[in-house]
Amino acid sequence: MKTLLFGTLILVVAAPVVAGDIHGKVSCKGTRDCANAVVYVDTIAGKTFPAPQAHEKINQQNLVFDPHVLPVLVGTTVDFLNSDTVQHNVFSPDACAEKFNLGTWPKGQVRSYTFKKDCVATLLCKVHAEMEAYVVAVPTPYYAVTKPDGSFKIADVPDGAYTVKVWHPKLKAASKPLTVAGPTEAAFEIAK
Amino acid sequence: MPTTIRLAHRLSIAATAVLVLLGAFRPASAVPVFARKYQTSCQTCHVAFPKLNPFGEAFRLNGYRMPAETEDQVKETPMSLGSEAYKKTWPAMVYPGSIPGHVPIAINIKMADVYSSEFDGTSASVTKNDFQFPQEVNLFTAGTLGEKFGFLAELTFEQGEGVSIERAQFTANSVGGPEHAVNFKVGMFAPDLADGFQEMWLMTNNGIDSMFSYNPIGVRGGTSLAEEGGGISIPSNVQAIEFYGVAKHRFFYTVGLTNGLGAVPTDLLTSNPHATGTDPHSSKDWYARFDYKFGGMGLDGDTTGKSLPPENWRENSVRVGLLGYHGSGDDVAFAVSDELGSPFDVVDRSYDRYGLYVSWLWRDLNVFGVYLHGKDALTVTDSTTLAENRIDPTYDSWFVQADYVIRPPFQVSLRYEDLSPGDPTAKAIRLGNANFTYLMLANIKLMLEYQRDLEESKNYNVAAVLRLAF
Repeated sequence: MKTLLFGTLILVVAAPVVAGDIHGKVSCKGTRDCANAVVYVDTIAGKTFPAPQAHEKINQQNLVFDPHVLPVLVGTTVDFLNSDTVQHNVFSPDACAEKFNLGTWPKGQVRSYTFKKDCVATLLCKVHAEMEAYVVAVPTPYYAVTKPDGSFKIADVPDGAYTVKVWHPKLKAASKPLTVAGPTEAAFEIAK
Repeated sequence: MPTTIRLAHRLSIAATAVLVLLGAFRPASAVPVFARKYQTSCQTCHVAFPKLNPFGEAFRLNGYRMPAETEDQVKETPMSLGSEAYKKTWPAMVYPGSIPGHVPIAINIKMADVYSSEFDGTSASVTKNDFQFPQEVNLFTAGTLGEKFGFLAELTFEQGEGVSIERAQFTANSVGGPEHAVNFKVGMFAPDLADGFQEMWLMTNNGIDSMFSYNPIGVRGGTSLAEEGGGISIPSNVQAIEFYGVAKHRFFYTVGLTNGLGAVPTDLLTSNPHATGTDPHSSKDWYARFDYKFGGMGLDGDTTGKSLPPENWRENSVRVGLLGYHGSGDDVAFAVSDELGSPFDVVDRSYDRYGLYVSWLWRDLNVFGVYLHGKDALTVTDSTTLAENRIDPTYDSWFVQADYVIRPPFQVSLRYEDLSPGDPTAKAIRLGNANFTYLMLANIKLMLEYQRDLEESKNYNVAAVLRLAF
């Protein structure tokens, strides 16, 4: 019995410290589901985050951008891979993404763009007008994309007071102040 | 008025009465394409198809979309013809749109077992137990194209008439101003001039209104023309351009420009020297209508501040409308013969129709009707002597109909129609119609219908009608 108690104590002490998180649900009114909303912590006064070295990736496969919505930290480079046997293009009509146009390229090749500022960049393909995706470049590394049921979880958020924002491809954005102290729950409702 | 014209009037009215008894006018139909698209019952929009309830009327006026429609209401996901974000790139790129996810086809079938008696003035011919299986089949396609546009087309097979394009229209919704205020329609369609009394038929075998078929020209004139779209009548179907909309939820308007007379059979045209040509479309007709609805659901589906009953066919409301139609038949001379076979030509230099529409909905009862006054400016030419005579005949036509929902599957309808030509020697038309409807399923109904010429008891028909839509 003593051995069991001791072992349990060892396990508890040795377990990693659970960082704070923001979890909860976004309710979407007027859309079929609530997938692809981006929930993120807005600019934190006095704090900057270096651009990550690792690239993010968006795949163009079966005439679809995958993922449909990709949140990244400002400064992140995104690689666009063409996995289809047809040529693809990627361009953005948004000024915050310098209205970039990466041209067209064949299967297996990659072209890249670095998102330098806060931006909701619409990604389109001139070759296939129905293709659409979004890169949401945000100022902190604390972000998550909602599941179809609207649930989300932003991990490893230090305790503190923040403004949390929600963006959705079809619905109006929302924001609210939130104090994070360990696991913290937040709920949002967004509509057209 | 010359004898020939009086004779022509009588014959014209007799011919009209026969057409009435044969049920020549085709009423509005149900379009189950939308039931599929929204995964909803026919009862959402229809009291008993094709009669629309207040929500169905709003749906139609909204360009066959739900009021304040949201994406989640559309269960059949449309196929994108361009990402919505492409709007940002216009005009550098094509504006994005969509098409229905599946080929939007729907079918209406109508079977009728008809017993009819027609009296031609001397003897009655009786048709017993005529199996009109099918009496009519309608093939529909309808849907929306992106946020603003829509389409509707109908191909009809009718016993004895063959196949014809009944409707083919393109619509643009909310093209300017507030939502629903300015909509545009082009094609062949039932004009919104007749909205509320053409879309509201409960009876479908006797779904004719004498005011749609009456033609002041003569024996062989406009009764068929009216059906073809435009013509010397109030048209049930037009080839036209129309603007219509709903403002402030309660005010409805429509303004249309039609192709003038419909397709005039060449054998009706003559070389009348008073006609400037033979082009029935050289001058266009126009129409307008203005309505206001008091109480109940808004005409655009607005329910702000209203507590409506869950029985969606019920509400307490009154809708009042004024309508007018003006046209010119200057370029067309119609060849007409009187009873003795003497030929004469008639040119309808201009024709005007003015009407008042009222619909009162109170719980399970809907009483509605139209009063219409018609005025024509005719030039009548004796084909032999070329003697010309100008006359300005008038007529008055009205109907009143009462529909009652006993229980949703069981409904009754009574209608009285009256048409009185200005010429007192011409025979008036007075018709009585009765209908009992049993809605077996939301899309299948069985009806018993009776129509009688109240001026001549030997003119009547009885029909059992089975109608289905899918």
